Amino acid sequence: MSSLITDPSTSPAPRTDDPAPAVGRSRGKVGAAWPIVATREIVARLTDKNFLISTGFTLVLLIGVFAFQAFMASKTSTTHVAVTTPAAAQIVQSTGSSGIPGMSSSDIAPTQVPDEAAARAALEDGSADAWLHETGGTWVLTGKDEPGSQLQSSIGAAVSSHVLAANAAKAGTSMDTLSAGSRLTVDSLAGETDSTGDAIAQIAGFVFAMLFYFASLMFGMAIATSVVEEKQSRIIEILATAIPIRQLLIGKVLGNSVLALGQMVLFVGVALVGLSFTDYGSFLPSLAGPSAWFLVFFLVGFVALACIWAVCGSLASRSEDLQATTMPMSLLLVGLLFLGMWASGTTKVIASYVPIASVVTMPARLLDGSAAWWEPVVSLGITVAVAGGLILIAERIYRRSLLQTGGRLSIRQALQVQE
Amino acid sequence: MLQVDRLTRQFGDHVAVDGVSFDVPDGQLVGFVGGNGAGKTTTMRMIMGVLAIHGGEVRVDGRPITAADRRTFGYMPEERGLYPKQRIVDQLVYLGRLHGMSNAQARSRTLEYLERFGLADRAKDHVEKLSLGNQQRVQIIAAVMADPTLLILDEPFSGLDPAAVDQMADVLREQTRRGVPILFSSHQLDLVDRLSDSLVILAKGRVVAAGTPGGLRAGAAVRHRLVLSGDAGWTRDLPGIHVADVEGSSAVVEILTPGAERDLLAQALSRGTVHAYAPIVPPLSEIYREVTA
Repeated sequence: MSSLITDPSTSPAPRTDDPAPAVGRSRGKVGAAWPIVATREIVARLTDKNFLISTGFTLVLLIGVFAFQAFMASKTSTTHVAVTTPAAAQIVQSTGSSGIPGMSSSDIAPTQVPDEAAARAALEDGSADAWLHETGGTWVLTGKDEPGSQLQSSIGAAVSSHVLAANAAKAGTSMDTLSAGSRLTVDSLAGETDSTGDAIAQIAGFVFAMLFYFASLMFGMAIATSVVEEKQSRIIEILATAIPIRQLLIGKVLGNSVLALGQMVLFVGVALVGLSFTDYGSFLPSLAGPSAWFLVFFLVGFVALACIWAVCGSLASRSEDLQATTMPMSLLLVGLLFLGMWASGTTKVIASYVPIASVVTMPARLLDGSAAWWEPVVSLGITVAVAGGLILIAERIYRRSLLQTGGRLSIRQALQVQE
Repeated sequence: MLQVDRLTRQFGDHVAVDGVSFDVPDGQLVGFVGGNGAGKTTTMRMIMGVLAIHGGEVRVDGRPITAADRRTFGYMPEERGLYPKQRIVDQLVYLGRLHGMSNAQARSRTLEYLERFGLADRAKDHVEKLSLGNQQRVQIIAAVMADPTLLILDEPFSGLDPAAVDQMADVLREQTRRGVPILFSSHQLDLVDRLSDSLVILAKGRVVAAGTPGGLRAGAAVRHRLVLSGDAGWTRDLPGIHVADVEGSSAVVEILTPGAERDLLAQALSRGTVHAYAPIVPPLSEIYREVTA
């Protein structure tokens, strides 16, 4: 130690004599800090390559699914059946009327050929897919290989009605007389049923459940990770002394909720627009309402979940602990996913009033038409109330556990921490 | 002025900080010295409200400290807290805004400081890409950029090269000129000696010495070195002095009775030439060793 620049007799260090007016102690009132925190969360995510890539990928996938659907719907392949007689041509022609309107994507057309040899040649060179001919009173469908099952059943049905009609004529009666009263009509107490509409409702319910599951998991983990990141890097010590911890939590939750909702609106919007280009476009008006409800429920449910995710993050000290502290949330979400996808009857009605579970089940009930107009309103009210309570509890735990860096905490331990 | 009054903190049965009291007057740079586990970081964290206080209190300008007071402080935690994957400039602007600065204000101040520390071209890099020394520079910018009313810096100099130490010291001096009280901890005693207006030495959770570096030295026993032309062994027989060490013609003596040095010098002159007789200023490290022993 050689640099002794001071000794007892002199003043210890250079110091200005004039009083420094620069330091004002009146400061200390910091305006609401949560918008700043929320903005950082949003900007940090939006500039995160992984986030952008996964969002882009999902969008491409979504658009791809609809593009594929539209492509398949527009593409009608024609199956050519070689015929040598007018009777055979008539049978083949009659198959067109047996298709399901809007659903059939394949037409069957007769191709007139002069004789048996020409028919065989057409099968060989592929200009005909099958050959329909009568041999000894029996109709035979010949293919190069065995004819496709769809073709078999279409031609089969046409052959049978052709032969029945011929037999009826021989017996001096008509097909209409023979088949009078034989048609089964389906009815239900609920009135007219719409099987396609039901299927759409079920699929949309699935989609809601999946969207909620993935968004909650993705953004939830993002929140938990960002909380533990702040703990691990100890920037939390700077943040906690700069702003009230409540502001930090609010900013974090709202920032991520805005992002999650934005992404959800994007996905649902693209899906609805995509749907309008397919044959299911006519179901759009019935989907729009429940979709809007879904977004509202999603927002409230997500805010509540986000607070719990923040708690999960705050209970960990290192990112390695996250796996353990977020496990209950992951399990809960998987449970909700299955509940949303498979619940029915009374279970579904009850679930549609249970907060968080209602995010998925209430829009699904609106879709299948089993919910009255006031039911989503009541359910939403319950969700809002419970979400409010969850936020308060979450804030308490978050505040207490945030500065504990000595390993993983349980909720009980966190609540026992002295503030 | 920051006053720390009988501050106490326990971890289980272990008393980490035990009735620690000291002042950090306005415009003064106070060095906080002590070995590992002496309680420096714990004390600083209690001042910042990051750790609960188990006993005693912290006062600012004579009244108990509040969360609002702490929000105007600049703080550099021991474990460097920054977002590893965020751009330096964005991070500093964010922290400045949390301290109540406007966006434009925070941005211009950030760029100003980055320029000054030679980090302007790294502004858009992620923090994790910086060297530890540069991360520390960013850290100090975060602490001082919002014109804090007080600075609490935990080991601000550790890991810095001499040029960086000077830069950091300049920044701190600027702040004390504004009247800001600064408390900083350090293991580097020569640095504390050179920079601080006063220091507080902590050992096992207690303050064992405090004052200006000069004052602490003055409190230590004053020794003199005597260098003669011949052997200095005879000094051992003189009354009123304690001979700490003799090596050939040189002796280190401690005057026990005032006036004994006159006899010593008279005898020395009668025996030959006196090459030197001078007080030995003890290095701070020696005082530190004594008080923490």
